[in-house]
Amino acid sequence: MRIFLTLLAILAPSMALAANNVTLSSLVFVEKAVPDGAGRKHIVLEEPKSVMPGDRLVFILNYRNAGRLPASDFVVTNPLPAAVVYQGGAESAQVSIDGGRNWGTLPALRVLEPDGRWRSARAEDVTHLRWVLKQAIPAGAFGKLSFRGVVR
Amino acid sequence: MSNIIKILAVASGVTAGVLGATPALAAGTAAGATITNTATLNYQVGGVAQTAINASNNITVDRKITLTVAEVGSATTSVAPGSSAQVTSFTVTNSSNDTIDLGLTAAQLSGGTAAHGGTDNFDLTGLGMFVDTNGNGSYDAGTDQAVTYLDEIAADASRTVFIVGNVPLTSANGDVAGVTLVAQARSGSGAGSQGAVITETSGANTAAMDTVFADAAGPASGDGARDGKASDDDDYTVSAPSLTVTKQSRVVSDPVNGSTNPKLIPGAVVEYCIVVQNAAGSASANSVTISDPLPAQTSFVTASSFLNGTYTGSTPTGTCNLDGTAGGSVAAGTLSGTLGTIAAGTTRTLYFQVTIN
Repeated sequence: MRIFLTLLAILAPSMALAANNVTLSSLVFVEKAVPDGAGRKHIVLEEPKSVMPGDRLVFILNYRNAGRLPASDFVVTNPLPAAVVYQGGAESAQVSIDGGRNWGTLPALRVLEPDGRWRSARAEDVTHLRWVLKQAIPAGAFGKLSFRGVVR
Repeated sequence: MSNIIKILAVASGVTAGVLGATPALAAGTAAGATITNTATLNYQVGGVAQTAINASNNITVDRKITLTVAEVGSATTSVAPGSSAQVTSFTVTNSSNDTIDLGLTAAQLSGGTAAHGGTDNFDLTGLGMFVDTNGNGSYDAGTDQAVTYLDEIAADASRTVFIVGNVPLTSANGDVAGVTLVAQARSGSGAGSQGAVITETSGANTAAMDTVFADAAGPASGDGARDGKASDDDDYTVSAPSLTVTKQSRVVSDPVNGSTNPKLIPGAVVEYCIVVQNAAGSASANSVTISDPLPAQTSFVTASSFLNGTYTGSTPTGTCNLDGTAGGSVAAGTLSGTLGTIAAGTTRTLYFQVTIN
């Protein structure tokens, strides 16, 4: 027992450094229009307990560097669920319309129409989102990425 | 967390208009489906690529019950008195994001204003509901099956349902019979039998699949908004001829006075004119057959009967014009003849002569 405890004590710091120093969590909320009684509607975000086709979703990715060293070459990739149509809200992200092979901005990506013409990609063409952070995340820093979608 | 929500709530308020309308969706993602969003984080520490980190979450799509019943076309069904298997057509559509059964109820109005403006004043008999089994959009007796519910209708699928009934012989031109078709959402579990009535999830939302009614109110009584029912109405309007028959007679000549002030003495010739009028706004009358037993004291003048003549003036004081075509026959003391089609607002006659015995 004593040997095991010692081993654990030695291993523990290095394990933390290797695996647990950066965390990422994914959250989703539903936008609901709530009448304010004065003829207007306020849009509020709710827990996604009641979700139906056509509902607007807000996806939030929280990251945190809990380690003691900066994290560099920080890339977060988010394939869109098949049942969700991208609705913007992630202007800092690169997008892909071909399953993650090619990346760019929406106007830069082209879609071949059935009639042989090319057009600029639209939000509904997006299959993947990717955030490439140029600067390293300092130890202890955290941040948030988000985008919008609508349930098909 | 609450701060994030607040910030996003403000942001969403600003961008909602820019993002525009929700894309055109009908049924959409299936009820009970799980939407999983997974993000992957790749990074390096000290120039060394670290193990990628995944983060995901799940949401369950709720069941949205939306159904519609819509009359096919927008005109009344014109029927003749005594006609059978008269049809009104409806399209029943399941716009829910789930496969459901649709219970059907056909009902008749009891007074009140019918679908196309008339006042309901009679009922059809033998009312039944049939589904367009062969999908050709029209009722085919013996092929389209009688139904009380539509089984296992997939999201966004629709069926044509016919209400079929018989028109009483006693109905008159312009009579109106209103009908309604109500569809009610029922559980789609199990083909071949009608599922239980679907109920809305009461109380607070749950993380599991909830059921929400999103249907509009319909014209049938008891079909409100968000009640899992849909309905539409249609009507039958009787189109029948309105015939009146008048018979008038005149002495043409007698053996003593000739045609000058003739009297009704034996041997006098008398003309009869049977006037058939069809009132304006009625249906045309076909195959109008007239039978007139000749009085025993008279004898038919051979070849004196004419069909389809015109009439000048108004009965019984007008004039029967001798412009018909020869026709009609006498058998067993009864003269009979068949007039051509009598359109609304027109008059036709049967003219003949007899001598007094």
